Amino acid sequence: MSFELNGQRQELSIESDTPLLWVLRDVLNMNGTKFGCGMGLCGACTVHIDGEPVRSCSMPINAVANRRVTTIEGLAADGKHPLQRAWVAENVPQCGYCQSGQIMSAAALLSKNPDPTDADIDSAMSGNLCRCGTYGRIRKAIKSASKNASKSVAGLAVNSWEPGESAS
Amino acid sequence: MRHLRAYSQSHQERLEECLKERRGPCSQQLGTRGERIMSLSRREFIRNFSIAGGGLTLGFTLNAIAGPTAAGDLQPNAFLRITPQGEIIVQIHKVEMGQGTVTGLVTLIAEELEADPASVRYEMAPVDDAFTDPEYRMQITGGSNAIRVYYRPLRETGAAARAMLLAAASARSGLPTAQLQAERGRITSADGRFAYNYGELAAEAGKLPVPENPPLKAAADFRLIGKLDQRLDTPPKVNGSARFGIDAPLPETLVAVVVRPPVARGAMTGYDDSKARDLPGVHSIVAIDAGVAVVASNYWRARKAAEAVTLQWEAGDSALTDSDAIDAALTDALNGDSFATIRDDGEAPEAAPAQALDAEYSVPFLAHATMEPMNATVDPISREVWVGTQAPDITSSFAALGLGVEADEITVHNQFLGGGFGRRSMPDHVLEAAQVAAAVGKRVKLVWSREDDTQHDFYRPPMKSRLSAGLDQSGQVVSWRHRLAGPSLMQSTVDAMAPAIMPGWIPDFLIDFGAGLAGRKDNSSVEGADELPYAFGHIQVAYRNVETPVPLGFWRSVGHSHTAFVVESFVDELAHAAGVDPVAFRRRYLAADSRHRQVLDRVAELSNWGNAPAGHYQGVAVHESFHTLVAEVVEISMQGNTPKLERAFCAVHCGRAVNPDVVRQQMEGGMVFGLCAALKGEITLRDGAVQQGNFHDYPLLRINEVPEIEVAIIDSDAAPTGVGEPATPPAAPALGNAIFAATGQRLRQLPFKLS
Repeated sequence: MSFELNGQRQELSIESDTPLLWVLRDVLNMNGTKFGCGMGLCGACTVHIDGEPVRSCSMPINAVANRRVTTIEGLAADGKHPLQRAWVAENVPQCGYCQSGQIMSAAALLSKNPDPTDADIDSAMSGNLCRCGTYGRIRKAIKSASKNASKSVAGLAVNSWEPGESAS
Repeated sequence: MRHLRAYSQSHQERLEECLKERRGPCSQQLGTRGERIMSLSRREFIRNFSIAGGGLTLGFTLNAIAGPTAAGDLQPNAFLRITPQGEIIVQIHKVEMGQGTVTGLVTLIAEELEADPASVRYEMAPVDDAFTDPEYRMQITGGSNAIRVYYRPLRETGAAARAMLLAAASARSGLPTAQLQAERGRITSADGRFAYNYGELAAEAGKLPVPENPPLKAAADFRLIGKLDQRLDTPPKVNGSARFGIDAPLPETLVAVVVRPPVARGAMTGYDDSKARDLPGVHSIVAIDAGVAVVASNYWRARKAAEAVTLQWEAGDSALTDSDAIDAALTDALNGDSFATIRDDGEAPEAAPAQALDAEYSVPFLAHATMEPMNATVDPISREVWVGTQAPDITSSFAALGLGVEADEITVHNQFLGGGFGRRSMPDHVLEAAQVAAAVGKRVKLVWSREDDTQHDFYRPPMKSRLSAGLDQSGQVVSWRHRLAGPSLMQSTVDAMAPAIMPGWIPDFLIDFGAGLAGRKDNSSVEGADELPYAFGHIQVAYRNVETPVPLGFWRSVGHSHTAFVVESFVDELAHAAGVDPVAFRRRYLAADSRHRQVLDRVAELSNWGNAPAGHYQGVAVHESFHTLVAEVVEISMQGNTPKLERAFCAVHCGRAVNPDVVRQQMEGGMVFGLCAALKGEITLRDGAVQQGNFHDYPLLRINEVPEIEVAIIDSDAAPTGVGEPATPPAAPALGNAIFAATGQRLRQLPFKLS
């Protein structure tokens, strides 16, 4: 079967019921998408299929044939999607394990609804668990990356903290 | 059908057997490092763990690197290395499980070194004596002690390197050090004639003696401590590149899952894998202590084949384990005697008090539910282990046990932890992975399912408390009696770690004696109840150990997770009985200059205590744990019979806040952790098996259920104390007290269920 992953065509031969999550992690060595529960209950494995947020642990690979899959690695070419920048600016992650899934759910929300209300955020994000309790900051980061706040995010001195760059 | 004998062997039998067969697992084959760990007697182990939360490490310094280091490097000790290329490399010896350790430890060194924290490369430290925690005497992350213990030694590390760089620059330039300054990775001369990068000076500086007491910066000159507002580990955590144990990016690694008896101390007696062996991708199926491991080319294939394996097992002691039976045993214990006195300020006055209050509180077993299920990758040839662990040296001992080699032959590659909360201090999954890897002779990644994780945890112990207090005519508390009954966490921990860390030849009666001692005096069962901060009359606290076969573990804030709930709820009951506002009541019994009073007053101010918006109700609690004071106010509304968390407020006194936003993060997260347990957390057992399995029946709070949280940090120049755990304990009582304010129902059992 074949599908598109982060803009690249993938051809593979594997049992058709293999969940997309394990194709990504164990076959394609794409480890940014996480395993949390295996039942679509925690959202750690969230990816986009044709732009829709999907729990990849419960999505058999044969249902992905000829579709477009985006993972955290492919969300933005430079890793600086407005949400990723907002996540850094708001110090969202603690352990960080759930955050790929959080960001993918949030990105799907903003792509459809660039200016979400609290209720919109609750409804789009309540499928993503965070054991560290970063929810308040997730809400803030989504808002700061939303349409009305996008200017202020662009203006934020978001430090990428890459080696060689200076601390502000 | 394969038949195995039951695994209910005593440790001594195992030892004898493996001595006879000259193969692992065998604790006597541990090497020098293993011997060091093994040489801890049970009593020392218990003492180290028991005191750590209350320990105070004074005059502790890090040893300089003995002998020459890598060519051209400046390496004052094991924590810091500066290469001639100018790389600044810091070893992170406390693991990063979300609590901000990477940022905190790098900050301490970078502050004094005058380096840009973003330019520092951090590495997860290997197992090494240099990284042994001076309080635990092991390389362990827990007890919220990293910043408290290492605040000075790591600043001295940075300061020593800075002094050596300055001396090298002085020698090279001919200028006295007073005319040189260190700034952002460079030494420059005041006159502007000389400028050297640290890398240029590393080789010369590295040849100089390491100063023993390098001068430290004055707090007024800090540019990172108290000021840095970013975490250094965020970037890889937002683009998918952060590597957790489960991500060990290893080619040609097999994946293993384990089919295990559903009960904690069950023993496999046989299994049938005939329907699994020929499934796609299955490499092998092997018996290990925990059950049957199905090894395949990827997780899904292993999981599917595992579903085709059937297991025979016997329950052993676990059959007796039932939540109702445990509950009854705790009640029996409370009704009986044989309590160990924890604190006794003398008998209450004989005259009956004007008002007497009695109450019984109880808390359930809790699972950790880290988002990353337990996993470990072990290479039996190179003897490497990839895992996220809070206890790297115990991990190496467990891996050695599983591989039948010496502990100092093991290399542990520690990774980011997808949550720890105490769970990852017990490397049982590493032993499993090592046994599988040894059996198949290839590198194996063993991954637990969520159900494995929920049903085979080391649980926060259930506890029951009975309290009674007397108030005199004027509403003064003249007596406070608190009796606790529950299983000893320390005893369970000793049992679980024994195969890897304890000398195998200690006679059983001594083991029982040591464990019994731990059971009676176990600090982790009573911490937070014994050091009651209130100036009540005649305080008595006593504990009784009630054994269960259920494995117990350290769960974020440990004993405080239940004692704060009991104490701060009952104090609230006393306040209402005395007819006094709960904040005013607490203030009355707290010393005017105490940190308790400071955080209580601050949270009252922050929450606008007593003036909640219409339809909102507030509850308060204050608690000290791990040397840090936290007061919380939880504000709720009632949606029918369900409390809705509206807002929450927190004031924390943790000495100097090294990274204020990390402190706020930990307060927010710690509160959510405590509120989650208060509303939802409950593990129950029937016939020895845990009845919950995944997030549908062991639910966590979701984004739509959490309150808005405001945090205030008390400004302080005092030495810093830990923040990873102390926000969890006050959350449940603050919520319970709010529920009482809203409904008049006093809920004395967790999780809260309104009638």
